Amino acid sequence: MMLLAFLIPPLLILAIEVTFFGEFKGLDSGVSFTRFANATLTAFTLCSLFLLGNLFFYGESRNRPLAPLVGMIMATGFGVLATVFLIGQGPMLLEDNGSVRAQAIYNIVHMFVSSGAILLSLCVALGATFSAITSQKQRSSFELEDE
Amino acid sequence: MLTSRWTVTLDLTWHFDHDSTLSIRPTRDGYLGVPHSLPSIFRYTASETGGDIMNIRDFRSDMDEMLQALLLFWIPVSMVPLGVWYSLTSSPLRGRFLAFTGIVLICLSPWTVPSSPSSAAGHLLGAVIGPCMLIVLGIYLISFSGNVSVGKLPRSDRKIGVLMAAVGFAWLAGMHWWILTPQIAPDEVNPYWNVFWPTFLLLTSCLASCSAVTLLMIGEQRKTESNIMFIVSAFSFTLLLLGLNLDGPLVNAGEFRQHLWLAVADMAGIAIGSILSILVFALVIYTYERNLPDPESITPPTDSELKQVSSLIATHLGGEEE
Repeated sequence: MMLLAFLIPPLLILAIEVTFFGEFKGLDSGVSFTRFANATLTAFTLCSLFLLGNLFFYGESRNRPLAPLVGMIMATGFGVLATVFLIGQGPMLLEDNGSVRAQAIYNIVHMFVSSGAILLSLCVALGATFSAITSQKQRSSFELEDE
Repeated sequence: MLTSRWTVTLDLTWHFDHDSTLSIRPTRDGYLGVPHSLPSIFRYTASETGGDIMNIRDFRSDMDEMLQALLLFWIPVSMVPLGVWYSLTSSPLRGRFLAFTGIVLICLSPWTVPSSPSSAAGHLLGAVIGPCMLIVLGIYLISFSGNVSVGKLPRSDRKIGVLMAAVGFAWLAGMHWWILTPQIAPDEVNPYWNVFWPTFLLLTSCLASCSAVTLLMIGEQRKTESNIMFIVSAFSFTLLLLGLNLDGPLVNAGEFRQHLWLAVADMAGIAIGSILSILVFALVIYTYERNLPDPESITPPTDSELKQVSSLIATHLGGEEE
């Protein structure tokens, strides 16, 4: 139910587009797939890098083992290699950039901008929820019994 | 080889100034530059071939730009999470200073390293940091001026908070429909603004809607709060619909529609990539923990240990006898 509520706004936009225009205007499946693939690869790599840092703190409670670190480094390395390999396979994943390095850097900067927008949205949604809750009158959870 | 009558030597380590024509005249600062008095044909020829008229690649120029981008953009970018980490652990003041310096240097990157395309992100940060801070601070003031048990603010701060949040949202809307659009050049919209704005609007609407339903499902007697969150979601959704149908001065409805679908694809990719990474992380931890040996078994307690434990328990049981 919560997932459906989360998906209602884009589904509504799709419904309005189809109702009034009869098609998904402005939707280029090739360009969208390129963006989706680049975002997936970059998010996997950067998230793995972030979780690699978390493993250092995990290691402190387990006498600093090397095995999980090696595993996570391999996952991060796999993400980097997959990104470089797939971007270098031709113009499929290259957006308006001329080289693999330029596309990789563009992906990282794009991820930062998207993450900033996501962070601001989270702040607004959670902040508004908290504001709505604290703006109501204080409720007592217990009814005092007359002695 | 094209030369001018002022040519004395050809320094093979020259740097091309792309605003000038073919540079073969030694100058005071070591760069070769062509004065404006020379015929324009040289300017045309050099710009036509990108400076490769003598088949010499300008590697030092690329290295200088890369080094500039590294020092003046990417190192400040890394300073921000490092500063946040420091501020949470060992030295809060130093960490905050580091993070603040990083943010300032990122905002200055359009002027310090204009040749890097990534500096457009710094330009966007400088453009949206004002309205974003207003919105976040406004929500903070509204939240903590209500019924909270810790850190309660005066009731009057609620109106200030509402005003700040409203001004922040109006500022962001003005960046789409008025003259406040971030432009990296005249009539050239910052490309990352087209990433930020639809992502923010769409996700705010989705999260507010999800929050409204969550309040109804999990909360008790939270209908009023749920209605408020539905209003927030509807407000963001309305801005989305307006963007899809009303042209701004620099961003028309068709472009906004394209960027909205790209934002959907982007968020879907981020979600799937992050989930995959977390699954891999969990698999790594699970595999390691599973291969750990079983803890060693200890011998059962002796009679003297059992007597000691019994006496301790008996001492601590029961209350005072009146």
